[in-house]
Amino acid sequence: MPGTSLAVEADGLHKRYRSKVAVDEVSLSIPAGEIFGILGRNGAGKTTTVELVAGLRRPDRGTVRVLGLDAQRDRARLRQLLGVQLQESHLHAALTVAELVRLYGTFYRDPLDSGELIESVGLTGSRDVRFQNLSGGQQQRLSIALALVGRPRVVILDELTTGLDPEARRQMWSTVESLRDDGVTVLLVSHAMEEVERLCDRVALLDAGRVVALDSPSGLVRRAGFAQRVTFLAAEPVPKRLLEGLDGVERVRADGGRVVVEGRGDLLQVVSVALVRAGIVVTETRGEHATLDDAFVALTGRHLDNERHDHERQDDDKEALR
Amino acid sequence: MTDISVHRPGLRSWAEMLTCELKMVVRDTAGLIVPIGLPMLILVMNASAAGEQAVANGRTALDVYVLPLVFTMVVATTGIVNMPSFLAYYRRSGILRRLAVTPASPAMVLIAQVAVGMLQTGLGIAAAWILAMVAFGAKPPVNAGAAIGILALSTATMYAVGMIVAALAPTPNSAVAIGLSLFFALGALGGMFGGRSGLPDVVATVGAWLPFGASVQAMSAAWVGASVQPAHLIGLVVSLLLGGVVAAACFRWD
Repeated sequence: MPGTSLAVEADGLHKRYRSKVAVDEVSLSIPAGEIFGILGRNGAGKTTTVELVAGLRRPDRGTVRVLGLDAQRDRARLRQLLGVQLQESHLHAALTVAELVRLYGTFYRDPLDSGELIESVGLTGSRDVRFQNLSGGQQQRLSIALALVGRPRVVILDELTTGLDPEARRQMWSTVESLRDDGVTVLLVSHAMEEVERLCDRVALLDAGRVVALDSPSGLVRRAGFAQRVTFLAAEPVPKRLLEGLDGVERVRADGGRVVVEGRGDLLQVVSVALVRAGIVVTETRGEHATLDDAFVALTGRHLDNERHDHERQDDDKEALR
Repeated sequence: MTDISVHRPGLRSWAEMLTCELKMVVRDTAGLIVPIGLPMLILVMNASAAGEQAVANGRTALDVYVLPLVFTMVVATTGIVNMPSFLAYYRRSGILRRLAVTPASPAMVLIAQVAVGMLQTGLGIAAAWILAMVAFGAKPPVNAGAAIGILALSTATMYAVGMIVAALAPTPNSAVAIGLSLFFALGALGGMFGGRSGLPDVVATVGAWLPFGASVQAMSAAWVGASVQPAHLIGLVVSLLLGGVVAAACFRWD
């Protein structure tokens, strides 16, 4: 059958809530077995997009096919094959972990063993704790377990590791990696770049309801327009000419005492040597590789993480006052 | 492509869902007090005095007036107060939404809730009945078949009224508030706080047509062996249909 090697096929999705367009002409083609990331700021339309894919919402325009099944018309058949972890979804508050896993397991043709599943998300010690008494991170892990209990072929994970401590986060990542080994297609919504860079084969960057870029994480990073960046604080003005001619340097920006050098190659070494030779004293020298966030800024003019962006702007404002 | 036939949750799933709903109800201790404790209280408070007042056919006021009232209260609290507050909580908390992405239909929850509510009603009625017989010498209805039929009709009607509450209440809190207000209003007009003789004629007549009053009156007639007035049965059936229509038109899963 042609087209069935695609696990998810969304075509021209459009969804509007009253006056606000949440999703605007989004098209995605995700081959079976891929871990596909949807990255974007809050309110970019990530959750609406996956809710349309899950058939939870009906698009105003466009179609979604999952494993060749229409997300609306073939809902009944699709439910057996699709596992969904919703952001902020709640469960029967007075039921325990084991009771919920058992209940949800009965919905599916061939559920996973509940003991093993509970073990795999690290909740064995809390199996008899009621949902309402679990910590936020534990509730999140239970929610992921319930998304997986029916041995789905496609899994939607909305904000997989939000609210988890670093160890639990790494545990969830390895759970997702083992899904990849089993050939399960994963649609991962995130605003955590580290997560996306580590797990995803390809990433769609969403901004204001539109896909602004779609590539592998490394391919997206290349769109940042530079490979490396060196920043430092100089006590005295640094002549731009001093750095611009150096090997590998592509761009130099000076903002007060803070200097940002972008380029490629062994940039930190090259810049440091040049500064020492010129007898310029610098502090807070930092060398970084370009990240998805840099790509996001290059593509949309804004940072991925709102809070961090506001934070930096405040810092910049303070600097300007000095 | 692997075989992707429709697979609906089977009997095991239904059994599990019922068990879970039952656990939810049992673990919600406060929710058990009103439908079982309150009617028992009314029974105990009125039983000894009423048990000595003979009415007709060897039945006392306890049999003819108190027990129909107590049974109606059990049915009304479960249907009008408890069931809608559970449904509103499920809707509000996103449980129905979570179920909507599984092969289980949210209707499973609704049906399981109704089944558990029936069980609760049955328990409440059995407990009150045993207490009345053992401690106060209550006697069974003269027309037992009619009494059981009326109880079943009242239960269905109270659930239909409860579905209106569930359909209209925006939050779990308001579901409890609306449900309780409606329960007390229907109860007051139906003679829950003493005879309806103290009420103005028009109010008393309307009260006898509304589900609570109609249920008490009809059951009372069956108990003493008198013929059940069609007006009371019509009152129950009209409320049942009205509740069904409003609920079907207004009920939302999320």
